Amino acid sequence: MGSDRDEDDEVAIRAVELRKVYGARDARVEALRGVSIEVKNGERLALLGKSGSGKSTLLNLLGGLDRPSSGRLRVGGRDLDRLSGREMARFRSTTVGMIFQSFNLIPSRSATENVELPMIFAGRSPRDRRAVAREALESVGLGERMEHRPDQLSGGESQRVAVARALANRPRVLLADEPTGNLDSQTARQVMALILDHVREHAATLVLVTHDEELAATCTDRVVRLVDGRIAAEST
Amino acid sequence: MRWFDLFRWALAALGQQKLRTSLTTLGVVFGAFVLAASLSINEGVQETIQREASKGDAARKVTVHPAWRANRDSKKDQVEVKGRMSAERHERIRKALADRRGGGGLAERVDLTSDRLETLARLPHVRRLIPIVGGPVVATLGHRPEDASLSSGAGEDPEFRKRVVAGRAFEAEDERSVLLSEMFAYRIGLVDDADIAQVIGKPLRIEFWNPEEGPSFEVSLAGRSRGGGRDEWLALRQLAWQLPGMLDQFRLTADESSILKKAIRQPSAAAVPIDAADDYQVVGIFRELTHEENKDAWSRFPADTDLILPRQTAVDLYFRDPARRKGGVHRAVLLIDDMRNVKEVVDRVEALDLRSESIVRFVERERLTYLLIFGGMTCVAAVALLVSALGIANTMLMSVLQRRREIGIMKAVGAADWQLQALFLVEGGLIGLIGGVSGLLLAWTISFPGDAWVRSMIRRDMQIDLSGSIFAFPARIGVIVLFFTIGVTVVAALYPARRASKVDPVTALRHD
Repeated sequence: MGSDRDEDDEVAIRAVELRKVYGARDARVEALRGVSIEVKNGERLALLGKSGSGKSTLLNLLGGLDRPSSGRLRVGGRDLDRLSGREMARFRSTTVGMIFQSFNLIPSRSATENVELPMIFAGRSPRDRRAVAREALESVGLGERMEHRPDQLSGGESQRVAVARALANRPRVLLADEPTGNLDSQTARQVMALILDHVREHAATLVLVTHDEELAATCTDRVVRLVDGRIAAEST
Repeated sequence: MRWFDLFRWALAALGQQKLRTSLTTLGVVFGAFVLAASLSINEGVQETIQREASKGDAARKVTVHPAWRANRDSKKDQVEVKGRMSAERHERIRKALADRRGGGGLAERVDLTSDRLETLARLPHVRRLIPIVGGPVVATLGHRPEDASLSSGAGEDPEFRKRVVAGRAFEAEDERSVLLSEMFAYRIGLVDDADIAQVIGKPLRIEFWNPEEGPSFEVSLAGRSRGGGRDEWLALRQLAWQLPGMLDQFRLTADESSILKKAIRQPSAAAVPIDAADDYQVVGIFRELTHEENKDAWSRFPADTDLILPRQTAVDLYFRDPARRKGGVHRAVLLIDDMRNVKEVVDRVEALDLRSESIVRFVERERLTYLLIFGGMTCVAAVALLVSALGIANTMLMSVLQRRREIGIMKAVGAADWQLQALFLVEGGLIGLIGGVSGLLLAWTISFPGDAWVRSMIRRDMQIDLSGSIFAFPARIGVIVLFFTIGVTVVAALYPARRASKVDPVTALRHD
């Protein structure tokens, strides 16, 4: 236990021989074929690769949205392969924050309610979570648009709401899947700046999935290239 | 996740699809309406029956009659069957003969004698025993005898007191007074108001007839008389008395003559034509029941009668005749302390081999009718709720499919499977709650015109004015209806909720 804690102080993510297989027999697809990776606390890692290389699958495993077919995975001090369904849900709402390319906001809910969502499932009091949501929205520059629904917001604003939602619980690990993929370059820069500010401010760990080599080079400490479900190269 | 958030999010989800939610809820509203109406009518009708039956203490009264019981000493096996026949036919005929002789030697009458009246009066829960005597009498005012019918009692009943139009009602059960009916007074020639005023305080002689005594044959002869009046009746009686001695002079076989001699009992020395008579003071005149009073279902007592004597006075006169004392009173009314104890008293009375009548029996029979109606309506409600449950399951399954992405987002940000299940179950429960409350309100609203319509029908067809509503809405009906509607809708939401919790977030969130 003691060594685990010491290790957790340094390592945010440790994946050992991760495999993920979808389907069976003829339809069997190996999305990950033995990926081992370690990300230190506060490190910024970019996952680069073509479509189908397995980078989103790896991100989903890191975020607790999916479970590996084999291998060991430890994120934010939790062994994900040992967590029950409830513990995994708790892990998603407290330990990691996820940002998606397509924002993934609930369209019928206001910006504030979308930001509150993880805290609702975590059982935080309405007053407490509202205050946190407001602060998060103000920090991403949406203090004036808190009660707007996603269809009343621009793409950039929507992604900023998604960033605020991911950051609201102050997660140790931030997982971003093509966060700027749907944004123009100026908005993309603003959104990335917000994410990086948070990472720096809270010494959080960032895993960024992207196609954009330049973005990967400028915004992260290390780049890992995935090809056909394997790590093909690593560069710093 | 807090309960407050569960309800808020479930309500908001329902609110997003107002039309679909409304249509889904309509089925529940209909089911809840039928169930609420069914329960309400069942409750209301029972209350109405009890309320109407309780008027004038009718519900607490048990009327006891003499009855026949099997003679424990006689053996039905002693019945003789003549002729050669199969064993089955022999047994059939033996049973039929034994049953026919039931009123003769094989059964004995249990009369309401003084001893039995005392036993009845001592039964637990019997607050008061009222012996009822009466029957045909000859009433003589001045020198003019008239046939009349006599009843006892009823003087203290406030409803009856309203009917006393001249003089007064009885003040004591043993006073030597008599009340005349207005129509009897009219029949004997007291036509003018002045005649009525004058008759108060006059003596009236009342003589009990005793048609059971003496030759039984005379009854048939008298029965054939048409309009001959008392003189002709008396003459026929004389003929009947003399008949047994003259049977040999008719052209009858010896057997026929013997049978008839047995059939016609010889008059005993005690059997005088008029055996119990006395003078009573007329203290009042009472009117017939009005049309309105007749409409009131349970207030037809006392029955129409020409004369009423105070109860004890009537019993004293009646029992003055030894034969009547032996035969007991016609019936007795037991007043029970509480309606709930009537059944127990009825059981005890019947254990004494006496026959009883009580409104509780009637109420129980009526309840059966309404239970059948209630059962039918409940079946309709059950079918309606079942159909709406299928509708809800279908609609919510569609909703799960449509909201897959939303469910995926919730899972991605930390929703546990049980939280998503709870969210959908609460949505189902809210449909049940809203539908149940709406159905209850609808049933309650419709109960007003419904009640007016049913009451007008009862007034038109049965000439009865009901005093209360036939719909009743005690709180437990609301609880039962909501329990069923919420229960059914939550059960209907179980499968969709499970499906929602099983949505794979990775698939749900995959970009379009």
